[in-house]
Amino acid sequence: MEHSKSRSPDELLAIYGADRRRWPVGTVDSAILAAPSAVAEATSIDRILDHASQPMAPEGSMARLLDRLNEPSNAEIIAFRPGRASKTQFLRYATLPLAASLALGIYLGALGALDVALPTAITGTVALGDEVDDDLGGVGELDVYAEDNVT
Amino acid sequence: MTDGGLLNAAAGGDHAAFSEIVNRYYQPVFRLVWRMTGGGGDSEDITQEAFLRLWRNPAQVREVAALKGWLMRVASNAVIDRSRKPRHGDLDSAPELVDPLARPDASLDRSEAARLVDAKIAMLPERQRLVLSLVYFEGLTNIEAANVMEASVEAVESLLARARKSLKESLSPQWRELLGGLTEMGR
Repeated sequence: MEHSKSRSPDELLAIYGADRRRWPVGTVDSAILAAPSAVAEATSIDRILDHASQPMAPEGSMARLLDRLNEPSNAEIIAFRPGRASKTQFLRYATLPLAASLALGIYLGALGALDVALPTAITGTVALGDEVDDDLGGVGELDVYAEDNVT
Repeated sequence: MTDGGLLNAAAGGDHAAFSEIVNRYYQPVFRLVWRMTGGGGDSEDITQEAFLRLWRNPAQVREVAALKGWLMRVASNAVIDRSRKPRHGDLDSAPELVDPLARPDASLDRSEAARLVDAKIAMLPERQRLVLSLVYFEGLTNIEAANVMEASVEAVESLLARARKSLKESLSPQWRELLGGLTEMGR
């Protein structure tokens, strides 16, 4: 045993028991300072522990181990675990359909093939700018307005 | 031959050298596993797996002088791993330890006292059971136990003190009878 940090004799008894062979090196001499009640308690726990079983490996157990030495190892087998596709894989498979969809939308929009499906506010003459006389901004009336309001 | 020499020879496929390693350390590793599993029926299998892992890849042992500790660490980790896996209908590997005082007419003889103590040790939390097995029953130093458990010496000491205290508390109803009975039996 190595000394970990400064422990009182009572603490050492509580940790390692009354058998001083288990105590950290350099602490055994301090046992004389331990409280008698702490010694008695540690001794009683030791005595109880001494009566735990001392199991032996079953007969032939070591021989069975040596027989297994030539078994093929399964340690190198990596189990297959299906999981979620990575983000990279998702992008790789999604990019082509998305690009094709965008190209088709631009093409159909340029042809006006989809105008029937859109509101007239978007597709009507005003939106298309076909009425050249329309002055939606009132810029054409600016002169009249300015003259009427000169003071 | 030293552990290092045996390990080098075993790494070259020398069955005799590996057999000597088995002779040296099989029993203490088995005892540790037996205590960790509460006398479970799979103690032999877990012990053998630790040795087979050594046989298949001896280079895993970085500190040859601590070969026994390495085997104990692998075995105790295997016990903990198995204990955390759900089991269904695995009655054969259930702990075999029973509390002999559960029978009202039981009189406590030496073997029953041993079974009672074994049963109470088996009920300790796994880290306390491990440290008690390593330091008390296998005689490892606090530093060796800390290496096996991959913990600090302070943590080992704390666990050891708690294990002893828990054991005393769990046995307190039978404490006087247990100590008296053991005294009468020639202690």
